[in-house]
Amino acid sequence: MRDRLSIDPVCLGAGLALAAVGVLIVLASSGALSVPLGWMAVALTAAVAVILLLSGLVDGGPRRHD
Amino acid sequence: MTDDTPTEDTPTIEQPKTEDRPPRRLQRSSSDRILAGVAGGLGRYFRVDPVIFRIGFGISLLFGGIGALAYLLLALLVPTDGEPDFAQRLGGRLQSRGLWRGLAAIVIALLAVAGLIALTGASALVVALGWGVPVGIAVVAIGALLLIAALRGGGARWLIPPAVAIAIGAGVASASDLNFRGGIGDREYQPLTAASIPADGYRFGVGRLVVDLRHLDWQRERVVRLRLEMGAGQANVFVPSDVCVAGTAHVGAGETEIVGERNSGLGVDHSVGSAASAVPRLQLDAELDVGQLRVINSDTASVDNPGYGPGPFHEDTAPLRAAEARACGTG
Repeated sequence: MRDRLSIDPVCLGAGLALAAVGVLIVLASSGALSVPLGWMAVALTAAVAVILLLSGLVDGGPRRHD
Repeated sequence: MTDDTPTEDTPTIEQPKTEDRPPRRLQRSSSDRILAGVAGGLGRYFRVDPVIFRIGFGISLLFGGIGALAYLLLALLVPTDGEPDFAQRLGGRLQSRGLWRGLAAIVIALLAVAGLIALTGASALVVALGWGVPVGIAVVAIGALLLIAALRGGGARWLIPPAVAIAIGAGVASASDLNFRGGIGDREYQPLTAASIPADGYRFGVGRLVVDLRHLDWQRERVVRLRLEMGAGQANVFVPSDVCVAGTAHVGAGETEIVGERNSGLGVDHSVGSAASAVPRLQLDAELDVGQLRVINSDTASVDNPGYGPGPFHEDTAPLRAAEARACGTG
């Protein structure tokens, strides 16, 4: 029987990371916040890292068939 | 005393049978190789110099690259004569899964990567054209959709790669202040009076911008203020050699070449003649996101010289610097 309250951590992490980056893009594009390219690169790298890390932790790793 | 132990059979010497010699097999060479040993193996198989095959593969690159594809397939399908290398292991894996399925998977993966790169570029372009806020809102909306999907158990992971591609393009474009508004193409201005120069300067998007100020009456104008704002490309400003150039220029990524002085790299801030009060004088305030900005103080330079190839100003900038020093009274 499928657990109806199950949460997908990859989607959750990706959603949060993308929402945060999206807010940063809105602020930078509207001129409300001056975001240097270096800091934007850090934010983007962190978002991708979070997604890859969660994806690896949830789906990856060695699988034992014993 | 007799030796009654049984005598062993005399060993017989097996004669090689020439008719049982195994057929020649095409194998990649593990000793005569530059990349995967394909040419070496072909040369050995056909008993010709492998250099001929290497030249053939090289020439084929000039005609659509079919030779590169053939080389790749041979590297994957033909075994080596030594220890299995990466290509052989990959080829074996593809064959065990069905070669065509494997090739189809590679093509699909390459197309997917190309699509994501295109999406990144497209989102950067859209932001540079002034739609940064809507794109940012779209990224937030996709993030919200993923959150909702996560709470419902998933099923929307396919949204993640395109959303990340959009976010990367938009993020880089918004943080680097890329601005492609103002048009695309070639623009050339030759104002005859300082009054005909727009008060807020020249704004241009992408392409090549030329502002030729050599037709002004500099003895009458004395000090001319020029503001330039450009997205990406090349901006060339021409002034007479007896005009002092002062002011600042900022280039996000690229090169500045102002009156013979060059700077290049990321975040280039170039100021010239900051203390100059000499007249006639061009007071410059320029901003370029990506590309090359040149201010050329020469009476003879051609506006049609794009300057990327070898040209008179790339060969020797000393005359421009000397003219600037004379015009600004610092020489």
